[in-house]
Amino acid sequence: MIATPNLINRVVSGITTWARVNSPWIIHFNSGSCNGCDIEILATLTPYYDIERFGIKLKGSPRHADVLVCTGPVTRQARDRLLRIYEQMPEPKFVVAVGSCGISGGTFAGCYNIVGHIDEVLPVDAYIPGCPPRPEAIIDGVVKLLTHLKNGTRPEPIKPQLGEQA
Amino acid sequence: METLLAITSIMFFPAGISLILGGMLYEWADRKLVARFQNRIGPRWFQPLADTIKLLSKEEIEPLGVNRALFFGLPVLALAGALTAALYVPIFGLRPAHSFSGDLIVTLYLLSLLTMCTGLAGWNSASRFSIVGATRTLTQLFAYEAPFLLALLGPAMAADSWQISRIVDYTQTHWMIVLQPVGFVIALIGLMGKLELPPFDAPEAETEIVAGALTEYSGRGLALFHIGKSVEMVVGVTLVTAFYLGGIGNPLFFLAKTLGLLLVMAFLQSVLVRLRIDQTVGMWWRAGAILALLQILALIVLK
Repeated sequence: MIATPNLINRVVSGITTWARVNSPWIIHFNSGSCNGCDIEILATLTPYYDIERFGIKLKGSPRHADVLVCTGPVTRQARDRLLRIYEQMPEPKFVVAVGSCGISGGTFAGCYNIVGHIDEVLPVDAYIPGCPPRPEAIIDGVVKLLTHLKNGTRPEPIKPQLGEQA
Repeated sequence: METLLAITSIMFFPAGISLILGGMLYEWADRKLVARFQNRIGPRWFQPLADTIKLLSKEEIEPLGVNRALFFGLPVLALAGALTAALYVPIFGLRPAHSFSGDLIVTLYLLSLLTMCTGLAGWNSASRFSIVGATRTLTQLFAYEAPFLLALLGPAMAADSWQISRIVDYTQTHWMIVLQPVGFVIALIGLMGKLELPPFDAPEAETEIVAGALTEYSGRGLALFHIGKSVEMVVGVTLVTAFYLGGIGNPLFFLAKTLGLLLVMAFLQSVLVRLRIDQTVGMWWRAGAILALLQILALIVLK
């Protein structure tokens, strides 16, 4: 006897995972960065790098997006907005933190107006280091996230230390 | 038997699943062509399919303050309208599944249903972006609808019939693009307005109003609107090709002709920039409607 419901479940989840991996729509939010990472993200979206090859599309509405691409440390002002955008996204959703500031607070760490790095506010799935990361690095980070999605795992969480700077 | 046949024709062929898959292929062709015009590689062939399955498997959020029945019913109605319209047009170069006198008007009505559902969905979503988008969607509907109808009326008047299959029989021998070139241009641009493709994408302008009327839709509702739009693309391209580019003839030639039309549309999409909504309306009423009327006048005088 084959366990039919299990088989159907496995096929359906296989198909949905395939679709999810091949069509990540992103939304981009700056929660207090210096705009360096944002310029690099916009460069990634230009025809030169053409990420529509992987099915990646920039969406204006959080309701349409699957991946929240955040840059910068989270300022006290931006915290509520960031959380609100995250809450507006439908499940399943993923967060990518781009740049040193998003990972550890970077050069802004310890400032009076900073809540902290993005991990202190949202569950981050992938970190892309760099100040700012090049478009190739951003594509590499997103592809790593997608590979983990495909295997059904989450990327290894890295716990950066606030205030630890090179 | 009759009922079974009707169910089959709605569920599988010519409407239903085959049309949805065909719509996805046309959508991919359109995106790929635009990408090539922009010197990019463009999406892979299964991209619209992956997008649709992903959206269908996502959570559907119901915003506060919406009418529940309308919010969930409108996407279904929009898709149903587009699929029903396909029963009366020669999809993929095959004879229409159903035909009666005056089905041209019914088809145009059903094609407008999607736009009206989008407008109503935007108004119902109770978000400022979707309300602005809905206003623009409906404004644009009133702009292009009359010239588009007049442009499709030209072949109908020449063929002396309001029945699509009769008109198509007539255009088989008379290439309307030669006899009524103005009508062809208006029909083609009207179709682009109907599908909200650039330069007529003011209703969903990302840089101004997020995603227009569908801003609050997620998951299944968004997927159904997307499918409806790609089905409408197939139906619209089929209608214009059958009316202006020499009827249906051989299905293979017909497919080539629709793809040629798609090529022209993709070219126009990549070379033109978005018009403001008042420019769109002004262009349609000052140029489009008057030119279409002049052509019909010429048709009446010369006939």
